[in-house]
This record gives sequence, C-alpha cells and structure tokens, in this order.
Amino acid sequence: MKIAKPNRIDGFTLSEIMVAVALGSIVLAAVLTSSVALNRSFAAVDDFFSAHLQQVRIIEYLSRDVKRSTNAEISADTKTIYCWIPKYIIRTGDSDATTGNVGTRRTPTVTRGGSGYEVNYYSTTSANGPSGTSTNNSAVVYSVNGNSILRTEDGAITAIASSTDQLVDQVTDVQLANTGYLSSVVTFLPIFTSNGAAVERAGTTVYATAYLRNIRRGN
Amino acid sequence: MTKAPIFNVMNTHRQHEKGSTLVCALCIILIMSFIGANVLMNCTTRYNVTSAQVAGWKDALCAAEAGADIAYAETRKALMNPGTQFSGAGWTSSNASTGPWTYTMPNPFGAAGNLSASASVDNFTSVDGYACYRIRSVGTARVFGLRRVGMDDRPTGATSSFVSGSDVRGRGDSLLRKIDFNYDHFISTYGDGDGNNKQQVALPNDGNGNPLAQVSRRVEAIAVPILPVSGAIKTSGSFYGPGSAGVIDSFNSKNGPYNPDVALGGTPLPQYYSDSRDGNVNCGGSSFTSLTGDIYGNVTTDGATLKSTKYITGSVDNNVPVTLQPQAAVSPPPSRQYESTSPITIDPPGSNPKCSGQPPDSWANAPWYSYTNLQNVTINPVTVGSTPRETYVNIVVNGDISTSLIINQGVNVRIYFTGNVNIKVSNFSNKNVDGSSLANIDGTSSTNSSASAHVQFYGVSPTAPATQTINLDANGKPSIEALWYAPGADFISKGNIVMYGAVVCKSFYENGDCFFHYDKALGNLISPNDYRIASYIEDVR
Repeated sequence: MKIAKPNRIDGFTLSEIMVAVALGSIVLAAVLTSSVALNRSFAAVDDFFSAHLQQVRIIEYLSRDVKRSTNAEISADTKTIYCWIPKYIIRTGDSDATTGNVGTRRTPTVTRGGSGYEVNYYSTTSANGPSGTSTNNSAVVYSVNGNSILRTEDGAITAIASSTDQLVDQVTDVQLANTGYLSSVVTFLPIFTSNGAAVERAGTTVYATAYLRNIRRGN
Repeated sequence: MTKAPIFNVMNTHRQHEKGSTLVCALCIILIMSFIGANVLMNCTTRYNVTSAQVAGWKDALCAAEAGADIAYAETRKALMNPGTQFSGAGWTSSNASTGPWTYTMPNPFGAAGNLSASASVDNFTSVDGYACYRIRSVGTARVFGLRRVGMDDRPTGATSSFVSGSDVRGRGDSLLRKIDFNYDHFISTYGDGDGNNKQQVALPNDGNGNPLAQVSRRVEAIAVPILPVSGAIKTSGSFYGPGSAGVIDSFNSKNGPYNPDVALGGTPLPQYYSDSRDGNVNCGGSSFTSLTGDIYGNVTTDGATLKSTKYITGSVDNNVPVTLQPQAAVSPPPSRQYESTSPITIDPPGSNPKCSGQPPDSWANAPWYSYTNLQNVTINPVTVGSTPRETYVNIVVNGDISTSLIINQGVNVRIYFTGNVNIKVSNFSNKNVDGSSLANIDGTSSTNSSASAHVQFYGVSPTAPATQTINLDANGKPSIEALWYAPGADFISKGNIVMYGAVVCKSFYENGDCFFHYDKALGNLISPNDYRIASYIEDVR
C-alpha cells in the first residue's frame, strides 16, 4: 500500500499524456515554424541588403569612372557603358614606360586645339573607339554578364556586383545625354520563393547622375 | 522509519519536472536571442557600410574638390591679380614666385569637423607664354561607426581570382572604398604618389588612444588659360542659323587657304581634315535655333534642349555657361597720342614722330587714328621698294562703321568702335590672302598668314540700356575676312555671305545660306583673362 500510493500520484493517465503530447507538439511546431520563417526572412533581408549595397557600389563605381572620363558612350541596349579615362599612371608596356617610372604619375602636355588649350596625359595616334579599342586612354567597360555586372579596365575584369540565388538584376539602364553627363538607373528585382514557385516582389531602384568633369564647361 | 524515503522520491520527481520546463524555456530564449543578435549584428554592419563608410567616402571627394577649388581660385589670380596669388592663409612655398605652392586648410570643416583638405600647385608648363597649373588635392574624411571593413565580399572574380589583374587591395567594397584604420595606406604604398618618401604614417587618435579611421581621396586638376576665341561663333545669348545650304566649319590658314573639299572628307582623308571639324558654336543661352545647315564642330548651349543631329558632326552639350569679358574703351597708351588727322586714305608713316620715329612694324608701334564715324576709308601698307610690307594700324571709332572699307594687302588693323556697324559686304575688301604672308618692314618673314587676323574689329561693350548692332548685308555672295570681338553686340548676317574668321558677340543671327569658315589661327590672337579647369583625374590607388 505504501509503495503503490506514490506511483499513483506520480503517473499520468493516457488522456493526460495525449493532451500533453498534443500541446507539446503544437508548441514545438510553432517554434519550429517560427524559426524556419525567421531564418528565411533573415536570409531574404540579408540578400536584399546585400543587393542594395551592390546597387550603391555599382553607382559609385560608375560615378567615379564617369567623372574622370574624357568621353563615355553607351551601347544601343543601354546595358554596356564605355568610359575612356586618361592614363594617369605609367604602366608597364606604355610607350613612355622605363624601369624607373612605372607606377608614377604622368605629366600631361598642353597644346592649343580647336577648342582652346587641351590637356593630354598620354598621346598616341590611335583614336578612341567602342569596345575598349582605345590606347591613348584607359578603356573601362561596364557590362552585364548573366547575373553579374562586370567592370573591365584595359582587359582586367572585376565583378563589381553579383546577384544571389534570390536576387536577379533586372536591367542596368544608363542614359548618356550628349556626352555631358551620365544618368544611371540600377534596379534589382528580388525573387522570393513560395511553395517552390518564384514570386517576384517590387524591386529597389537607385538613381544617380554623374557629370564628365573633363567635358569642357564654360567658355 | 519507512516514510522518509517515500517523501524523498516524491520531491525528486517534482524537481525534475520544474527543471525541464526551465531548460526548455531558456533554450528557446537562447535560440531566439541568437537569431535576434545575428540579425542585429548583420543590420548594424550593413548600416555601418551604407551610412558611415559610403558617406565618408563621398565626403572625402567633396573635401578633395574643395581643396582643388581653393587652389584653382589662386591660379585665376595669375591674370587678374598676380600680386596676391598664393598669399592667403594656409599657403606656403619654398619659393613664393616660382612655386610649387602648398596649401593646408587651417581648420577642419564639415558638420562634425571631420573633413580636411590639402593641396599643392605647380607651374608645370607654359603654352603661348601663359602658365599652366597642376593642382593636386587630397581630401580626408573621418569614417564614423564601427572600425571594420565592408563585409560584403560576395562578388567573385570572373578570372581565377577576384583580385587577379587588379593592382588594388581588398575585396568587395574594400576594392572601391579604401579605408585606413591604423596607417595611411597611400603614403605607405605610394609615398608622394610617385614612390618617393614611402613611410608609415599613423592616423590621429581619439581621446582613448584608438586610431580614428579615415578615408582619403586624391584628385589632380589642370588649370589652363581661357582663350576668348575657341571656335567659329561664341555668344553669351542666342544663336540662329545656319540656313539649309549653309555651313559652319573650320580651317587653319597656316596650312593654306580654305579648301571646301577638305571638310567633305574622302578616302583617304585629306591631310588637314581634322582642322575642318572645329567650327564650334558656343551659345551661352537657351535660345538656340539650329536650321538645317551643317555645323562641323561641337555645339554648346546653356539650357537648350538641343539634340545631336545629322547636321552637327561634333558633340552637343546643353549645360555650358558662357561668360564674356566686356570690351573696354581703348585709347593710346600714355606715351602715345592720336595722329592729327582722320584721313579717308590712311598711309601710315614709315617713320612716325608720334612714336619716336619708329615704323609701324608692330602693334606697339602702330599709329593711332581716331574717327567719329568710319566710312569710305582705305588703309594702305608701308611699302619698301614699291613692295607692301606687314604694317600695323590702330583705329578708334567713337561712333558707327559703315562701308566702304578697303584694307590693302599687308595691313594689320585693329578697329575699336563704340557704335553700330553696317557693312555691305560687297563694299568691304580685305586684300590679305590666307596662307601667304608678306615680309615685315625690316625684311624679316612674317608669321601672320591669316587674312582675318589682319582685320580685327573690337566692339566696345555698351552700357545698358544702350545696344550695339553689327549688320552684315550681302550683295550677291561676297566674302568677308575678319575677327569680331564684340561681346555686347547683336550680330546679324543677311544673305549668302562667306565669312572667314571668328565672331564673339552677345547674340548671333544669320539668315540665308551663310558659309562661315573659322580660322584656327585666330585661337590665341586675343589674350586670355581667366583660367579654367581643362582636366580632372582622380588617383584611385
């Protein structure tokens, strides 16, 4: 009698256990669901912020290069941008490169041209042209390659932005107005997945305008 | 004796039930806290990049350009006020007259005093006798927030390595925004920019001895003199023209007379083809009416909505202001005086008693003639053995100019006028020839082979509400060769005139099929009076 009594006090009935298991399952399911949802949300927000940072980076790369360009053009589909930047630093292979001056800053020449005094850092007889054929300036080309945006400077490629599995770049819309300034519009269209199907959400768009500082302004 | 163990068992079971609940709750809180902390940490880092680092990087460029602006302001004094050049607060130089000059901003600026700038200026070359200045400016901005690099290193290189083919350090954002945390990376790596004086320069500390992160950006700008004549037509107001069969192009009389076939090109291109594409039109207003005549050059306006068309071969920029220096009234220098008469036929004296017996062999020795109105005047050169020589004449007209005017070969004349000009071009004759020059009076060779450079009109800027008008009226299809600098004048060309030279005026209007051929030899004929930034480059290392 003394042994059986404590067992009856400590035990659970079948219904109690079933209720407890049911309640526990509900709580665990809620916690698990919340964790998964929170994790997905965190991943989405992380990717979204990442994409936004890349938008800012693209704009800043473009602004930096356009500002110091002597000329800039865009392709017909507005997805490729060509910038011609004065060759400021003497590089190996340049016609004026010596063993002692590689990596130093070039002293420009000033001549009187049709529009007044003109400055040239690296004069050659080669004319500028699309697709980076220029040799008297550094050719910087921005292009869209799949989900990446590439920056190519004199043949060296750098991916300055690359979408993740949930973010796809929609378009790089660049409008060059009469070679004076460059208006850039970079839009990322994030794609979220719901029930295994891609569900698009409104993207974020960053606008920027950069003026070519080397275009003559005033007199 | 037998009750105590039973109660002990009971107590043990109850304690286990309470403990598991607490542990479960703590675990859930812990998991949620980890997730929350992770989110917050990530957000903080993102925020740190987007707000602090991006802002600092942009502010550094603003600071660098502020330093360049301050230096540029000093270079402009070279022509305006050379006595005070590079003498303000913050400027130092080992040789104040020849430079280089160094500027250090006396006090930081910015909302939190977080920006500073320094600049150096050197006269690295001269062209046409005018100094050209190289401005190098460094702008530094403190980077607030967390002392860490941008965490977004996701971009991968299209080459085997992200940094392959790249000479710069870092990854991701660090490739773009080079933030210094302990030492100035530029001085450590590149020294003064040319590899000299490389050294580790520690960043300034905060009150706790921690280095203050900063970002520096470096720009180089080249300041060159502004040439008042930099194309075919420059106006501070409106432009209208050219007609459907009209043309605005250029040539260089140093290479010979104008050849219409050069501008049309061909295969291979003619030797002086490039000289034909500088018929620039600089319109300082938004009123630009482009007819269907061809403009072989660049076109600028200030606020127009002009687009590139097949009639404009060069670039179009609608955001270019034009400021013209007014033409002041002119009189002989103190040591000189006007000739006593205002003759219908000017025969400059070979030995001028009003110029210490000097011949009119230069602008400095040119005789000065004064007219109330200039009309029906012929100007002859000095002859040596009946051969005309390059002769210089100054004429001041305190009134109007009208034809006829005959400027014989060899005459170089500057005509300063205060009134209006009415010229029937058929009654205007400039007998100088492009591409050929006469000998100077002393027998030496002249370098002035431009017909339009021989005849220079300067319109004294009127005081408002007075106006000034220059009317050229064709009679058939005559030609006129001249340089026109009349910044306050409305320039009107009627009929099928062939103009050689350049025009600087307030407004330009031409109807009919006017042919305008800008002579590039006129480019440096008028002295500059200001400087502009002709080149801008950022050192992105």
